[in-house]
Amino acid sequence: MDYWLLGELAITGALVGAMYGLVALGIVLIYKTSGTANFAQGAIAMMGAYFAWAFSSAIGLSVWVGIPIAVVVMFGFGILVERTMLRRMIGQPVIMVIMLTFGLELLLRGAVPGFLGSAVKRLSLGIPQAPVFLGEMLINRAYLVGGGVSALLIVAAIVLFNSRLGIMMRAVSDDQTASWSVGIRVERAIAIAWGLSAVAATFAGVLWGSMQGVDWSLSLLLMKALAIAILGGLDSIPGVLVAGEIVGICESLSTGVLDPIIGGGTRDIVASVIIVVTLLIRPYGLFGHEQIERV
Amino acid sequence: MSRGRRGAIKPVTTREDDMRLTRRSFVATTAATALTGLRFSMRSAVAADDKVIKFGMPQDFTKIYTFVTAEYSQGARDYFSLVNGRGGVNGYKIDAEVSDHANDLPRAIEAYERLKREGMVLIDPLSTPVARALVSRALEDKINLGTAFSGRSDAADGSVFPYVMPLSPNYWTQAGLIVDFFRQQDKDLTGKKVVLVNIDTPFGKEPIPIFQALAQKLGYSFENFPYTPPGNDQSAIWPQVRRAKPDWVVFWGAGVGQTTALSEAIRNGIPMDRMSSSVWLSESDMDVVGKDAAKGVLKFEPCASGRSPKVVADIIKEVAGKGQGAGPEGKIGTAYYNYGVMMAAIMVEGVRVAFQKNPNGPITGPWLNDGLTAITDFTAEGLLPAMTVTKEDHQGGGKGRIARWDGTKFVPQTDWFSANQDVVWTEIKKSAEAFKAAGK
Amino acid sequence: MFYRRAGIRHTTYRQERQLWPLPFDRFLVGLVAVLLIAAPFVVDRLYLVAYLLPWLIWSSAALGLNLLMGGAGQIHLGYGAVMAIGAYTSVHLIRFGTPFELAMLAGGLASAAIGSIFGFAALRVKSLYLAMATIAMQYIVDFVITHVPGISGGGMASVEVPPVRFLGILIEGDLRTYFMALAVCAVVTLFMLNVGRTAFGRALAAVREKDYAAEIIGIDTFKYKLLAFWSSSFIGGVIGCVLVVCYLRSVSPEQFHLDLSVQLLAMVIVGGLGSVLGSFFGAGLILFAPIVFNNLIGAGADRLGISIGADLRAHLPLMLYGALIVAFLVVEPLGLAKIYDNVRNYFLVWPFRHARR
Repeated sequence: MDYWLLGELAITGALVGAMYGLVALGIVLIYKTSGTANFAQGAIAMMGAYFAWAFSSAIGLSVWVGIPIAVVVMFGFGILVERTMLRRMIGQPVIMVIMLTFGLELLLRGAVPGFLGSAVKRLSLGIPQAPVFLGEMLINRAYLVGGGVSALLIVAAIVLFNSRLGIMMRAVSDDQTASWSVGIRVERAIAIAWGLSAVAATFAGVLWGSMQGVDWSLSLLLMKALAIAILGGLDSIPGVLVAGEIVGICESLSTGVLDPIIGGGTRDIVASVIIVVTLLIRPYGLFGHEQIERV
Repeated sequence: MSRGRRGAIKPVTTREDDMRLTRRSFVATTAATALTGLRFSMRSAVAADDKVIKFGMPQDFTKIYTFVTAEYSQGARDYFSLVNGRGGVNGYKIDAEVSDHANDLPRAIEAYERLKREGMVLIDPLSTPVARALVSRALEDKINLGTAFSGRSDAADGSVFPYVMPLSPNYWTQAGLIVDFFRQQDKDLTGKKVVLVNIDTPFGKEPIPIFQALAQKLGYSFENFPYTPPGNDQSAIWPQVRRAKPDWVVFWGAGVGQTTALSEAIRNGIPMDRMSSSVWLSESDMDVVGKDAAKGVLKFEPCASGRSPKVVADIIKEVAGKGQGAGPEGKIGTAYYNYGVMMAAIMVEGVRVAFQKNPNGPITGPWLNDGLTAITDFTAEGLLPAMTVTKEDHQGGGKGRIARWDGTKFVPQTDWFSANQDVVWTEIKKSAEAFKAAGK
Repeated sequence: MFYRRAGIRHTTYRQERQLWPLPFDRFLVGLVAVLLIAAPFVVDRLYLVAYLLPWLIWSSAALGLNLLMGGAGQIHLGYGAVMAIGAYTSVHLIRFGTPFELAMLAGGLASAAIGSIFGFAALRVKSLYLAMATIAMQYIVDFVITHVPGISGGGMASVEVPPVRFLGILIEGDLRTYFMALAVCAVVTLFMLNVGRTAFGRALAAVREKDYAAEIIGIDTFKYKLLAFWSSSFIGGVIGCVLVVCYLRSVSPEQFHLDLSVQLLAMVIVGGLGSVLGSFFGAGLILFAPIVFNNLIGAGADRLGISIGADLRAHLPLMLYGALIVAFLVVEPLGLAKIYDNVRNYFLVWPFRHARR
């Protein structure tokens, strides 16, 4: 048993898991406040990365100027989506809203590469190539930065939910009618949730895009993010962090340990198996709240 | 009743009425669009005396092959414009119908049937799943199916696949050539270690039998590390590669899998000059990874790259210079652009040879097939290695060369050569036999 | 005037409970049936092979999914995997020499067996979580198919379908494949039209509305949910077999990924949950919208001489297609079937604007 390899894989997995968790954060934010799942989260991350590129490299500005501009624009976009599309679907069964987000994903996947160019684009954050060594384990500096930033943002979200705004959003996620009756502006809270989730998606898109190049394939981050959201509990933000770590580490270790035995490709299966097992044993995720239905 | 801003009572239209109005006009618009759209599908077949040869090029611009299709299509169309600008072949112009099938089979089959009705004699879908789905139809309808670098590797066997024309070195040939280059560099591969990092799809797994067969023959040890598609997360692969301490690494992916593989390899300290890719590596990939960071990496080149080959220079002068280029000028001369030019040149050469053989022949699939299978020693004025296509060998000889990235461009490291074709053809025959046994 | 409800009286329960009580409706159905049967001899070959044939096959698949989603109220995002199982099972059996009829049924049974395993997840979770469970199982089936060379066909990962005989007739060429697909579609449609009138259908409806309430009144939700998955997967398996034999002629794993599942989901939802006619409309819209947009944009660019960048021109159909789905859901959430219903109601009372109830 090569313990150094396992250790390295575990650490890398934890960092990558945090980065996936950042996309999952957006999904959880939206589910918490409005009870809908956003299957367009991956496409929004792609859009955020494209905008970050467009506002920096394309017009010659530094990437540290382009990213904040993209973040602000995407916040506005999130609010726009909520207002134009989601508000009309209030009261419809959840499957309709899921389909709407699938349609939105197609729309974004067509519009963004169509207008901004489908060739893969470079988005460099200036992270040096030299790795960090812990004993015999090599830690990729890009993952270190990416994982660190993601974990920080998720913690920031947890802190946010303890602030005044956060309490308002928690109230909305708990019971919308009761929130209305005490004067909380529910639509506003949902709009802010969508905006924040678009911001999280942008950060995730920028981090992933800096490593693999910005193109349509960033929208494929969705599936892993959904697995993490389900495992952690669709309405729990600390759950995102924990689940992200679990999924990341399990995937990484399985690639190292199971792939040689089975012959490859166990990474995606691990996520799927985790989902199935979670749903059979603890349907509402590790930290989620059980939804009680009444006759 | 709703109260307006100053307290006046305004007549109210219910939300339902509004919705119905919107609904009605929306549905009416959609229906009108659908009918017009369907009518546009009814374009009549081109009259026979139109002196046009039709090639169909429905390709995947928006789904999986986005990284290559735009530039490839641009290259092909520019070459056709060049040929048409010079008067065409024997007075006949080449008409390339380009559209997007997004790797979706119903759309691809619709495009195939529509183009067939319009009289196309060759179709190039540039997509492996689509090519595989169209194989049986092409064989039945006797329309040439061009499968550049993709499709079925065993289609090189013309006796089993008379109408499937790869006209390019297939993945097995590429693998054989790469291994031979390693042998040339190291003089002897016994005891060395060759590692393949491939995407875990049929495309990625295709060269494995060749690598294994050659491992037996040449004495090196072979290990492969597949990564899940699309390959944007290879974080767990490269630590293992690093620990395997390979002498040579071959990475076999496409698009984002390639850029991620290179970034990861650089960060894991794998030397670039011991890494080689298949055909799917281009300047834009190098751009994303970092032009200087990836210095030294190798790739398989089926045709000359850059803007210096005569054909490309002609295109710059006669087509792009007159503003008739099919895409941005900056892309002319990039790897995938030149692949497009290469395939277009071979197709046009096929037309020329077909005219030589049957000058009055009706322009049909079999007519073009006769021409394509009789191409001899064609180099497209220095763009390709001398290519000879026969009825048995649809690959064209399987020649290529290895090029190295020097920070600004790909520089060829060898001459055009072909290697290990015996091993490759054993695989081709084996697979083609299986197809023949199963089919009819 | 001729399309009216007024004046139509029934004298027996049997008459009243027929599928189409209005004579004009029966006429319409007959007309459609005649058109579909006469189609190969009347329309151009292009329309037959590239439009009608896939439309019939995808509508049948949508009907199968509609049984589960509209009938029993369970979300299934893994229908592509179900069809894959049916397709692969039947093709491998055909290659081993089994007669086509048996292979088709065996494909359906294999799908049903594995599909009902998916169904076990439905017993624990609902709606969104069920959707995730079915996506997870889609990936697992994908993985199994691609990684077992015996199933996927080895290196080339593409299994050719040998020529088959159905009831002695060789199924090849445009005409016969079309009629094969039409026959299967007709059987599935008849089943779906009538399932709502059986005890099974009514039990599914009860489970769909509120399953714990159904449990209270004595319907075994465990059994009926599993049965819903079983029958829907059986249909999916049979349609998967028809798909590869009549239309694709070769099986490879890329044909049955999550894209197919999402496409079928879109067809069912945009068409209208629970509506048979809606499945047909939805299938037509989802299947043809990208093609129509593509042709329109191409023709528009040629005729009007507008040159748009190659990237944009290639991506516009995708963009419009996504916008179309979003617009349909926002404007008419109940789907195309509801739009048809509105049109029908309008004509039923025409030339009056409304009828006093």
